[in-house]
Amino acid sequence: IDWEPPVEKYKGRIREVSFGKPKSEGGRGVVVKIGGQRALYRFEEPQPNPPVVTFDIFDMPMPSFPKPIRQYFEDVMEDPVEWAKKCVKFGADMITIHHISTDPKIKDKSPKEAAKLMEDLLQAVKVPFVIGGSGNPDKDPLVLEECAKAAEGDRCLLASANLELDYKKIVNAAMKYDHNVLAWTIMDPNMAKDLNRKLIDAGLDPNRIVMDPTTCALGYGIEFSINAMVRLRLSGLKGDELVNMPMSSGTTNANGAREAWMTNKEWGDKKYRLALWEITTGLTMLLCGVDLFMMLNPVAVKTLKKVGEKLTNKFKMPKKVDWIIA
Amino acid sequence: MKKVNAMDIYKLLPKRNCKKCGYTCMAFATKLLEREESLDKCPFLTEENRKKILELISPPVREVSFGGKKKVVLGGEEVMYRYQKTFFNPTAIGVDVEDTLTEEEIRERAKKIEDFVFERTGEKLKLDFIVIRNKSQDPEKFVKAIKIVEEATEMPICLATNNLESLKKALDVVKQKPLIYSATKENLDEILKIIKEKNKEVALVLSSGDVKELKYMAAKCLVNGLEDVVLEPYLDPEDVFNTVDMNVMIRRSAIERGDKYLGFPILNCPIVSYFYALNNPVPPDEFFSKEDSAKIYEATVSATLLNRYADALIIHNLDIWELMPILTLRQAIYTDPRKPQEVEPGLYPIGNPDENSPVILTTNFSLTFYTVTGDFEKDNVTCWLLVMDTGGKAVDVSVAGGQYNGENAKKLIEETGIAEKVNHRIIILPALAASTRGDIEEKTGWTCVVGTRDSSQVGEFLRKNWDRILKEWREKNKS
Ligand code: B12
Ligand code: SF4
Repeated sequence: IDWEPPVEKYKGRIREVSFGKPKSEGGRGVVVKIGGQRALYRFEEPQPNPPVVTFDIFDMPMPSFPKPIRQYFEDVMEDPVEWAKKCVKFGADMITIHHISTDPKIKDKSPKEAAKLMEDLLQAVKVPFVIGGSGNPDKDPLVLEECAKAAEGDRCLLASANLELDYKKIVNAAMKYDHNVLAWTIMDPNMAKDLNRKLIDAGLDPNRIVMDPTTCALGYGIEFSINAMVRLRLSGLKGDELVNMPMSSGTTNANGAREAWMTNKEWGDKKYRLALWEITTGLTMLLCGVDLFMMLNPVAVKTLKKVGEKLTNKFKMPKKVDWIIA
Repeated sequence: MKKVNAMDIYKLLPKRNCKKCGYTCMAFATKLLEREESLDKCPFLTEENRKKILELISPPVREVSFGGKKKVVLGGEEVMYRYQKTFFNPTAIGVDVEDTLTEEEIRERAKKIEDFVFERTGEKLKLDFIVIRNKSQDPEKFVKAIKIVEEATEMPICLATNNLESLKKALDVVKQKPLIYSATKENLDEILKIIKEKNKEVALVLSSGDVKELKYMAAKCLVNGLEDVVLEPYLDPEDVFNTVDMNVMIRRSAIERGDKYLGFPILNCPIVSYFYALNNPVPPDEFFSKEDSAKIYEATVSATLLNRYADALIIHNLDIWELMPILTLRQAIYTDPRKPQEVEPGLYPIGNPDENSPVILTTNFSLTFYTVTGDFEKDNVTCWLLVMDTGGKAVDVSVAGGQYNGENAKKLIEETGIAEKVNHRIIILPALAASTRGDIEEKTGWTCVVGTRDSSQVGEFLRKNWDRILKEWREKNKS
């Protein structure tokens, strides 16, 4: 009986994208890398970089967070700078600041004000940033542009470019101020490819793209995300240069699932369900090839990071553990 | 590997087109290929062609079943990724019962496993088998536990023991076809001998940390006439990816490399990670009690393996909050992407609605439909539920995609005759469909009221507002 590990030969590789800059290049010292895989599974080749978690913070208090999550941040919600510091204590590799109060329907804060906050944040913590807008397609390009300028040279991730807004403005800001761009589409690999092509045509360096094919929460369409992500990662490894970018997942979406947030005696305490919903959604995306995780719950962050960092280890044969007499 | 098509199967059918099977020969061939029909339905097949067809349509991962009246079917998979076709047999989940418990405790725990249910989108998600664990190592206790479980439940069982004496005695008493856990390289010969001696139908788990060794053992089983084999790569509680890697190597060998000796279902034991976590540091420790962290860790490991080829899992805990994410993930991964997830559009009376009851408009996406009707049932909502054909899309999805619109609403109102059932003309819309209000009012002539965001709040909303809405509408439309 003969057997060889079924190692695949891949023509392509996943591009490596880095965030932050070393001091020697005038940065703040912390550099985080994602992507760079040349294989699908660890027994073929360990991943060069572990999965990276970026903690979600907001530029205004979020009283609507479910209590089991809010309890960790209640004391810092008034101050995004303190909020960021706390996330670093919880093990954040990066931080995503959502400038939601720039939305005309919320507080209509000016891009300048957002940029000021950006400066404060960059001073307060060392980790690299994801810069998010409010989701308003007219305002976001202006906010992202101004924040990109404030963070010039710091290799942030601008979140996000999509077909519904002036993505050229975002592309220009990324190239001019040295940042990366999150390319967001909805669960369709062809759409992701199409958007990447447009961004590249608009002048974006393909090595600055991270793809977000949308993460649906566990129980709310996660199977659509599974299909989209797996297909993108396989095409990338097979050598399609338009989709061989690393991927990001809005794992925080998991907290929107009713099974996670709803109070229901029959289902047990929601502090467990919230944590597990985010962990399960994140791990599922991890197995589909996702590199960067936008997350909210400290329990889930810790668990996903600890489990996920093993992807850089070499395969070792597991040993027998006798559970029958345990 | 070579792709089989319907023509290859058709050539081997009798070609009488007699429709005894319910189809023409060609249509039957297609059904066989899609694994939607059984070959037994055609009475005119020659033995030789039957074998040939079976060979053609049998999946690269063998289907292995165990149990009695209730059965578990494992494996039968054809693809590496669900988008390539579909996965067929959902991961079976087994929970252990220790033979060191008292009689009463064993019975209770077994019943609890059998009765466990988590209802989601109209489906009852359940556990699949009971693992009787010979913790005592005592054959007598083991046998007793088996008898209790088989009397108390109809669940398929897995016999887990390290003691060959226990195994022999167990095979004398067990009534159903059990799954035996497990043979290793060291004791495989003896176990095969015992199985032969007892002349009992069983499925056998082979355990190892080495794929090559598993292959060697599987080949040995086949030589000895035992085809119902399940492979168990050891669970590594410190680095679950070592187990994931083994699962992938096995599955890829079977499906992409056509390795017959590795074409068997895979079993993993996250129960190991639970016991490990009780005595070792694991990630959630900092936030929860040791016991709760161990449960979260067991669920984490289970979800990871469910994602990569575990056809069966053995776990320890029965807390609903631990099982909910696992069962929901299983439901998602094993839905057939070839089938639209939708229900029949139309009018669904909820409770006992009359001419004064509210009319509520939702979509025919199954997740939406079952969530809404589940909520209404729980909250005793009485209403006429209009289920619109949005091509099986959720509310916000069909609003964005344009299927949730006035034209479709008008069609639905006409086809269901809802106008004759109520004496008002008010439709309640989900808050997510607020933007379609103008269009629907214009096309249907009905008044639209925007309701709540979530269907779980609808009961409350109606109790507070329905009478007023109805009164206001009547006043306005008096003439
Ligand atoms: C899964 C999903 C898909 C799947 C579709 C799955 C399906 N069969 O519906 C796919 C991949 C196909 C898809 C496609 C698209 N999608 Co999509 N999708 C989602 C996602 C992730 C989840 C939707 C879901 O399953 N919800 C769960 C169900 C149960 O919710 P529901 O139907 O709304 O029901 C709830 C409530 O509405 C309420 N309710 C229901 N009925 C009633 C009735 C009354 C009276 C009341 C009071 C309440 C009520 O209670 C229910 C339970 O909470 C959402 C984002 C999200 N919400 O997380 C995006 C989302 C809806 N999609 C979006 C978009 C843009 C699209 C596309 C247009 C993308 C494109 N450009 O092609 C297409 C449109 C396709 C089409 N219609 O032809 C956007 C919509 C943005 C907007 N509001 O304009 C969203 C919000 C994502 C986003 N953030 O951008 N999508
Ligand atoms: S029963 Fe057999 S011969 Fe008759 S139509 Fe079906 S496949 Fe053809």
